[in-house]
Amino acid sequence: MATVQTPQGIPLPEIFRSEVAKRNFDRLRRGWEVLVDRDPPVVGATPKDVIYSKGTQRLYRYRPVTDEVYRIPIVLVMSLISRPYILDLSPGQSLIEYLLREGFDVFMVDWGVPRPEDSRQGLEHYVLESMPRNIEEVQKATGENEVSVFGYCMGGLFGLLYKGIFQDAPVANIMCAATPVDFDGMGLLKRWSDRRWFDVDRLVDTLGNVPPDLIFRSFEMLRPAERWAAYARLTDNLWNDMFVKNYRLFNRWVYEQIPFPGEAYRQFTKDFMWENKLMKGQLDVGGRRVDLSTVKCPVLHVMAEHDHIAPIAATRPLTSLVGSKDKEDVVLKGGHVSLVAGRNAWFRLWPKLAEWLSVRSV
Amino acid sequence: MPEANSQTDVGQLWRSWLTETERQWNSFFNDVMGTDSFGRFLGGYMEIYSTFQRLVAQNMERSLSTLNVPSRSDIVDLSERLSNVEDRLGSIESSIRALAEAVGHPGQTAEVTQLRPRRTRRPRAQSGGGQS
Repeated sequence: MATVQTPQGIPLPEIFRSEVAKRNFDRLRRGWEVLVDRDPPVVGATPKDVIYSKGTQRLYRYRPVTDEVYRIPIVLVMSLISRPYILDLSPGQSLIEYLLREGFDVFMVDWGVPRPEDSRQGLEHYVLESMPRNIEEVQKATGENEVSVFGYCMGGLFGLLYKGIFQDAPVANIMCAATPVDFDGMGLLKRWSDRRWFDVDRLVDTLGNVPPDLIFRSFEMLRPAERWAAYARLTDNLWNDMFVKNYRLFNRWVYEQIPFPGEAYRQFTKDFMWENKLMKGQLDVGGRRVDLSTVKCPVLHVMAEHDHIAPIAATRPLTSLVGSKDKEDVVLKGGHVSLVAGRNAWFRLWPKLAEWLSVRSV
Repeated sequence: MPEANSQTDVGQLWRSWLTETERQWNSFFNDVMGTDSFGRFLGGYMEIYSTFQRLVAQNMERSLSTLNVPSRSDIVDLSERLSNVEDRLGSIESSIRALAEAVGHPGQTAEVTQLRPRRTRRPRAQSGGGQS
């Protein structure tokens, strides 16, 4: 029986066996999976237990995977407006999993999704009440007096404010990733929230918590073409299983924004965006002065070269504000998210973090 | 082979073009959105958005009240009271646990608090001996 051939004389089965056909088939299949969001990727899967909770806030302890851990536990503090699973994205791509394997005893403060009644929670609630209480619970769970604090984005700010207010707080080390301190360097976000045209009181008094969609759109507007370019890249790489998996993981996180507690948002806008009080040494939280020059513990500060949410101009002065002698600035390639998660972080941030912390955690 | 190379090149060219176009469009929009006029426009939009939200909330509240149906603020009040009850329960629970521990009956502590790995780990450089 003769083999069916194309007009060019190429046997059809060969074409179908070819890489091109296979890739196109894979593209269609994966494209369909992405479109219908079939089998959403599993996130935040590292085994953990809640050891303390209050309201929406949870303190997790991740189950150690080594018989022997470093003496000082590490407490990860998340930002108020993003889901914590970015630090525990998926098995094999998780900072938390990495730290556990490196022998750290890992805890995480997850602020949860604020409810409407949480709109009255200001920075004092997080810094003066929740932070000390969570650290106390970590002390109880481990029997250790000291802890190391790792804060991502706004979480780093919480760590700094906490230590800058409570000078005797049992913080052995502070690590900040993409943490803005000089809000004059916040670029468009500062410009858009200028007091000449942005009435933050009216917004918060009307809405209570600031809806996640507003936060998401403002971040998206910083790079308006990014979404369309991402779709194009996805189409180009639909044949690539790993690419599609990562796209879906990150996409899920990016779209799962959470509301910004109203009162905290008001304080952020006024004290940080408008007045840049932290930089000027004039910041008070709940009537307590924040003095970062009293922060004497070792500080590691990691910035992303292409961070558009917390640009280098806003993050760079951090170490100049603290009074520590043992402090280090690290600028890594990547953006706001790829700094802490994904393939880049695996090779860049995580080993650096583990190396820096291990010698200071005994 | 030359065919494969030219295909790779076309793909590569397209990817470079995409990256460059994305950068240029972002830069263009950033310039536009960094102006005072855009800031004023955004401020105006937020003003209208807030006013609209407030009017909708007020009307909804009034309508629900007329129909004798709980409104959003009623639910929020209820939720707030529930949170207070949860908090109180939490603190009673931890007091009982502390009391039980004080008299030598740890009771039902969370499984995780019983995880006591040895806290003696040393960095590789220190434990390896000879590495610097």
